Amino acid sequence: MGAYGDVDKTNEEVSLDGQSKRGGPKSFVPAVKTAADQLEAWKRLDTVMVPVMILLMGGVVVFLVALTVGDWDYWQDWRDRRWWPLVTPLSFIIAPAVFTYFFWHYFRLPVAATCIAVGYGVGVWASRYFNFHVFAGFPVNFIAPSTFIGMCIVLDATLALSRSYYIAGFVGAFLFGIIIYPLNWPTMAPFHVPVEYNGFVVTVADLMGYQYIRTAIPEYVRIIEESTLRTFGEHVAPLTAVFAGFITILNYYLWVWIGSILTRSRWMTKLV
Amino acid sequence: MKKSQKVISLVMLFLSALAIEMVSMPAFAHGERAQMASLRMRTINWFDTEIFHAGTGERFHGEDIKMKIGDELLIKGKFVPSEWWPEHVNSVEDAVYLNVGVPGPRFIRIDSRINGVPMIRSTRLEFGKLYEYEVRLKARMPGRFHAHSVLSIEGAGPIIGPARWVDVTGNEEDFENSITTMTGDTLNLETYGIRIIIFWNVFWFIVALGWLGYWFRKRPTVMPRYIKTTELGDDADSQLTMTDMIVSFLFFGGVLVATATGYFVTQQLYPITTPLQTGKVEVPHKELDNSVSLEVLDARYRIPGRSFKITLNVTNNSPHPVQVGDYMSGGLRFINPVILPGLTRADSHDLLSPDGLTVETPVDWIQPGTTEKITIYADDAMWETQRLTSLIYDPDSRFAGMIFFYDPSGKHRYYQEIGGQMIPVFGEYQATPSI
Ligand SMILES: [Cu+2]
Repeated sequence: MGAYGDVDKTNEEVSLDGQSKRGGPKSFVPAVKTAADQLEAWKRLDTVMVPVMILLMGGVVVFLVALTVGDWDYWQDWRDRRWWPLVTPLSFIIAPAVFTYFFWHYFRLPVAATCIAVGYGVGVWASRYFNFHVFAGFPVNFIAPSTFIGMCIVLDATLALSRSYYIAGFVGAFLFGIIIYPLNWPTMAPFHVPVEYNGFVVTVADLMGYQYIRTAIPEYVRIIEESTLRTFGEHVAPLTAVFAGFITILNYYLWVWIGSILTRSRWMTKLV
Repeated sequence: MKKSQKVISLVMLFLSALAIEMVSMPAFAHGERAQMASLRMRTINWFDTEIFHAGTGERFHGEDIKMKIGDELLIKGKFVPSEWWPEHVNSVEDAVYLNVGVPGPRFIRIDSRINGVPMIRSTRLEFGKLYEYEVRLKARMPGRFHAHSVLSIEGAGPIIGPARWVDVTGNEEDFENSITTMTGDTLNLETYGIRIIIFWNVFWFIVALGWLGYWFRKRPTVMPRYIKTTELGDDADSQLTMTDMIVSFLFFGGVLVATATGYFVTQQLYPITTPLQTGKVEVPHKELDNSVSLEVLDARYRIPGRSFKITLNVTNNSPHPVQVGDYMSGGLRFINPVILPGLTRADSHDLLSPDGLTVETPVDWIQPGTTEKITIYADDAMWETQRLTSLIYDPDSRFAGMIFFYDPSGKHRYYQEIGGQMIPVFGEYQATPSI
């Protein structure tokens, strides 16, 4: 349909990687002589650059999450009901928000968040497996990463359905903050089964944190379950979720805006 | 730049981003000598340390402790948090965790106690009180490790205690870690839950590939859409088709349904769960026996001789005559061979000086009810090799240690913490100023 019709057209504005337009059409890859050649080049762009971009964005987010969420997502015994579901979506939405602007503004592709979740998934599993399991010796179940794919698809799909950053933020980013806990509960619940150990009630996760020695992370550095919300008893998780949802909306708007500045300014300078 | 170079450099960037996680890894090297002298001398006084094979009780004196995977190692001993705790270091009164210095989970910790109270969580301690600790480990991975007792103190970091070399052999694959939950299930924690984790990760990965596959189903996608979006300008949204809307709606709803289903099915599978447990545990302390008390009159450190000299008054209120047998400071143990003859090092890294302590005393034994002025000399090159001489570079030149008295039968022992101002001497000792 529509998109294919454009292929035959020689577009002087566009180069292969869609970025370097300086110097006009003559300066970019001279191999593209015919429409068929160009089609091939464009296909290569999709098959090579898109996966590389996904991995690269994922790597950047692995880095970002390591710096901001860190221990809350490294260990089973840090995923509490209060801080982990608050800090994680708030931090994780930054990159999807920035790249959402880029992908939507130039391509009308609602894929930024999902691309990042997939790239992050590959990167974080590689890191946890090799760094934490093979190198440091922790059992995989104790250091397995959380999944954010569901949250990211919801965010992307909301944008596709609404075609509006405002609604994507209001609905998608809100759900992004809300569903992190239920989304990850299937892999967390087994580690929240209670165990009696030396006269204390602990969860399986607490016990693993005790048994699998982390000399550099003594028990008191865990920032878990700390807040006045504890007075709400078992309703801590839903209350945190709603709160996380609201601030994730605001953070989404902020970073889409920053993304728009970054995207436009870079492209502007390239175009001049 | 060629495309292949570009791809390689992007992959390198990706890998270096991953390397960042390495930096935040919980590493532990036995950096005992790297710690400031005041941190080692004036924080935790460790003594009576015993590290041995818990199954056979074998001590392996003079060699590495040999164990097989699954065998248990016991680290036990006593400590007194120093009354001369440096002011610039956080106190033990806030949060303390009984830790163990091994390179990661080469062992699992199956029990740890201070004064009999399990130390699964953190606690608080008091200065100048006596604590007995015990850590029981189970060998999990093969290798040769230096196993330390460690107290982690919030804000101050790890205070590293004595260590032994442990040599673990056997096959890692044989290690099992079975526990029974309160719901009556027996689990092997090495592999528990891994199937569920893999199932959900694969499931979401496939869903994501479905979503991306839909949007990138045409070849090529990116450039034609860019052109189209540019051409359409304000009407760019019109390129989204009805199919796009339906697919988006299905994924949107599908994800929410899958999330909710996963949640409720999990609630059925694991109806009983508890939040992560936290909060401090209280430990009762023990008082030191004050039968033999002391007063420091003068303390000097002679740098060229690597010699430490303390003059003190000792008052013996115990029923036995006593004399100084050993002095411990900063993890170093100086023995008076007159009182404790024949001691040898447990292994090459044991910080024991079997004849490092000389006592100048007017009487062989300090009789009950009397006070005597004595001078002790703790001399050993270990002061230098263990970098405790840097004490003179600390902001306040103070020392602390433990001094031990024995009766002639060796059956009775009394000990006290000793500490105070220390004066460096750059030449020979002068006669002790008359006091
Ligand atoms: Cu060591």
